[in-house]
Parts: sequence; structure tokens; C-alpha cells
Amino acid sequence: MAYRISVDHEACMSSGKCVADAPELFRFDEDEIAEPVPGAPAPSDDRIVDLARNCPSGALVVTDAESGDEVDVG
Amino acid sequence: MTVTDETIVLRTFADAKDAYRAKDLRQSLYDEGEVVMDGVLVNLHGDEHRNRRRVENRMFRRDVFDQYERELFPAVTERTVAPHLAAGKVDLVHLGHELMLNLAALTAGIDRPKGTVEETARLGEYNAKFIQGATLAHSTGDKDAQRVAIARALEDWDAEFLAPSVERRRELLDREAAGEDVEVPRDVLATLLRHHDELDLDDGVVRREVAFFLLAGAHTSATAFVRAIDHILGWLERHPEDAAAVREDALFMQRCVHETVRLNPSSPTGRRRALAPVTLRSGVHIPQGATVVIDLQVLNRDPELFGPDAAEFNPNRTPPPGVAPFGLSFGAGMHVCIGQDLAAGVVARPGTDPDTHLYGLVTGAVQHMFGVGVRRDPDDPPQRDAATARPYWGTYPVLLGE
Repeated sequence: MAYRISVDHEACMSSGKCVADAPELFRFDEDEIAEPVPGAPAPSDDRIVDLARNCPSGALVVTDAESGDEVDVG
Repeated sequence: MTVTDETIVLRTFADAKDAYRAKDLRQSLYDEGEVVMDGVLVNLHGDEHRNRRRVENRMFRRDVFDQYERELFPAVTERTVAPHLAAGKVDLVHLGHELMLNLAALTAGIDRPKGTVEETARLGEYNAKFIQGATLAHSTGDKDAQRVAIARALEDWDAEFLAPSVERRRELLDREAAGEDVEVPRDVLATLLRHHDELDLDDGVVRREVAFFLLAGAHTSATAFVRAIDHILGWLERHPEDAAAVREDALFMQRCVHETVRLNPSSPTGRRRALAPVTLRSGVHIPQGATVVIDLQVLNRDPELFGPDAAEFNPNRTPPPGVAPFGLSFGAGMHVCIGQDLAAGVVARPGTDPDTHLYGLVTGAVQHMFGVGVRRDPDDPPQRDAATARPYWGTYPVLLGE
């Protein structure tokens, strides 16, 4: 299974945990809201789950790349 | 639709985590402490909370923590402990509050221009009142009389400490805006002032917000500081082979602090109020109006997650994936403690570089104490605090030095 991770712009509260944990994947936009780094390499599913679990606002959304369904990371 | 005033107690880790993330469950832990908590970040909900947090999070990031942990805190810790080390003994409860107040004043943005012992003692007296306010729900005293005294303390503290701190930061921000090369402190007060127009906060909210960060930073870290030292002293009696680790291995010490926080959450319960009906993934239904009590003492000691010795202190424990070593003591979801990484550092992973890792201010302070030979005073045993239903130490005399 391959996962994808994206940022829910409305939910993000700028904790910066994803930017600190994975600066190759996330950065801040001009409003200091997290956004994916364009062209970043695809992380492993385990890394994606780890990052999403660590986001306090639940703003990192994990989806199944095949079905597009949201994945519950627990 | 049925609105109820029933109370639902959650005792499983999964339910608690689910509840912390539910957008229709509103913070209600501080409902009785409005005198100091009204309009404060942790009491906000929805967009108002998110917008305030977005601004304040700019100061609660790891690059800022790195500066505090490596540059600012070690000197303050050494300076605070030094006179007690010279005396050869101290009450850890007193020292914990003194030390953490000094550190929290830095992060909250409260200046002490005179730098005298008397000035710090007065700030400590004000802070003790603010702590009473935030924990009023657990007070065993006259709550109405306490509210009056706390409100008065806030006003006096504002005049003596907050107003001059505001003035200094406003001047620096003005000079910065004019293009001058000035160093504006990276603290909560400066952050609020810098984003004043965006947040639209009145002076009363700013006053309570800064008071809250002062009390929260000082009080929670002070109690964790004393409890960690107590647990580690007990651990060393059973595991003398770890005596070197507590002085030299900061990762081991950080695990000790995390284990302490798991067993002793700052508040033994979390509380939420249902703004709308909520059904947790386990099927637990929470009607609108219900109060949700999250029993952190029970779920942080769940043997299925933390092993058969879950109720014991064991810094060598490895929790399962997705479970933090400190359990849910810092909460979870959008209200997760904003100072978690500052107090307890970042959770180490395989391959963590000990030289760049963030250990947290409690780890640094506790390790400093073992570096100066902290040990119990055999002639003066520690006593619990009878003035609150919370499990605090009232006095904890220790000896220092070799």
C-alpha cells in the first residue's frame, strides 16, 4: 500500500513539528502555515504515519494513493 | 436534541486520544479558575483557539527551544542552585519553584530589572496566587476568598512587573520597525505585542495570558522536577548500577523525566464539555452538554500499553508505536501542551544525535541536581502538601555536595 500526505491548510495551527521533523518534506508558507516542499521525494508509509500522528492539530492528512480514501492513523 | 449534565469518565488510551481530537469537545478543566484563566489560550475553542495558537506557536518552536536549552537555561540553573549548593542543603519544593519561576519568567517575558532576591520573591508570591487560581477546582480552602485575593494579585503584579515589561518590548518593537538593529526577546509577551493588531486582545487578556504562561511554565515544571528527583532517588536505591547514567547520560535522564510525567500528569484528569453529541470510535456516545473526564492516572498506567509493571517507575520501558513515553500527560490534539517540547524535549528515536537532541528544561535541571550530589536528608523526610487534593510534595529536604 502507498500513502500520500497533505496539509489541511485550515486545520494547521503552525506548531512547526512537521517542518522540524521533516524539513525535506514540509516548509512554512508566507503565513507560517505548513505546506509540502514541491518536488520532495515520497517518504515511506511508516514515515508518513509517524509524521501524521505527531501533528497536534490533525492537519496532516494521509490518503491511500490508489483509492484516494483517507487513512485513519490512530 | 437531548442536552444532559451527566459526566462520562474515559479510562482507555484510545478513547482519551479520540476525545482530545474531537472538535465538539471543549476544554473545561479550568471552569472554576476563570479569575486567571478567562480568555487564556488553553480555554479558547475553535477558530479563536487556532488563531491565537498560530501566533504563539511561532515562539514555541524548536529553533527557539534550542536557544533556551543551550544558551539561556543552563546559566540560570547554575546561578539559582549555587547558593543552595554552598549551604549544602535545600528544600526541593522551594528550589523547584524558584528555579522554574526564573526559567518561566524568561519564556513568558517578565523582566526583573532590579535582579534582587526580594524582587524574585515578590514575583514568586504573585505566581503562587496565580497557581491557586488555575487549580481552584482542586482547592480545599475558601474559593470565593481566594478569587478576590487572586484578582487583586493580578492587578498588583501588572503594575509592578507586567507594565514595565510591556513598555520595554514596545520600545524595542518600535525601534525594530524603524529599521534599527535591536534584539527583541523571543518570549510570549513580545510575541503577543508583535501580533497585537492581528489578535485584537484587550489588556486584561494579555495580562491573564502572560500570567498563565508564567504559572504554567513554573508550576508544572517545578512539580515534575521534584517528582523526577524523588523517582530517580528511589530507582537508584534499587539500581545502583545507574548512578553514572543519571550524571552523564542525558538520554537516560530524559527517559526518567518522561516516565515521571507519565506516572504524575500535572493535572490527574483532563476535562471536556460536549458542545454537540459526539460518538467516539469505540462507540462511546457523549451527549450534548455532558462533561467528559479523562482519567489520566488510570490510562497512563494501562498494563496493555505499558506492560505488567505499568504502575511502577521504569525508565527502561519502551511503549508501543503511537504511544508517547509520557502517555497523554501533555494531552493530545489541538490543545496538546504548547510547552511540551520546551519542558520535556523531543522524544528520542533510534539514531538520535545526542549532541543536537532537545532534552527539555526539566531534564537539564534534574541532571544538574544529580551533578551536585542531590540526596535525601535522612533526618528530615519529605512531606505531602495537605492544602490541595492534588498529589504534591509539601516539603522535600535534600542534601547537596559531596
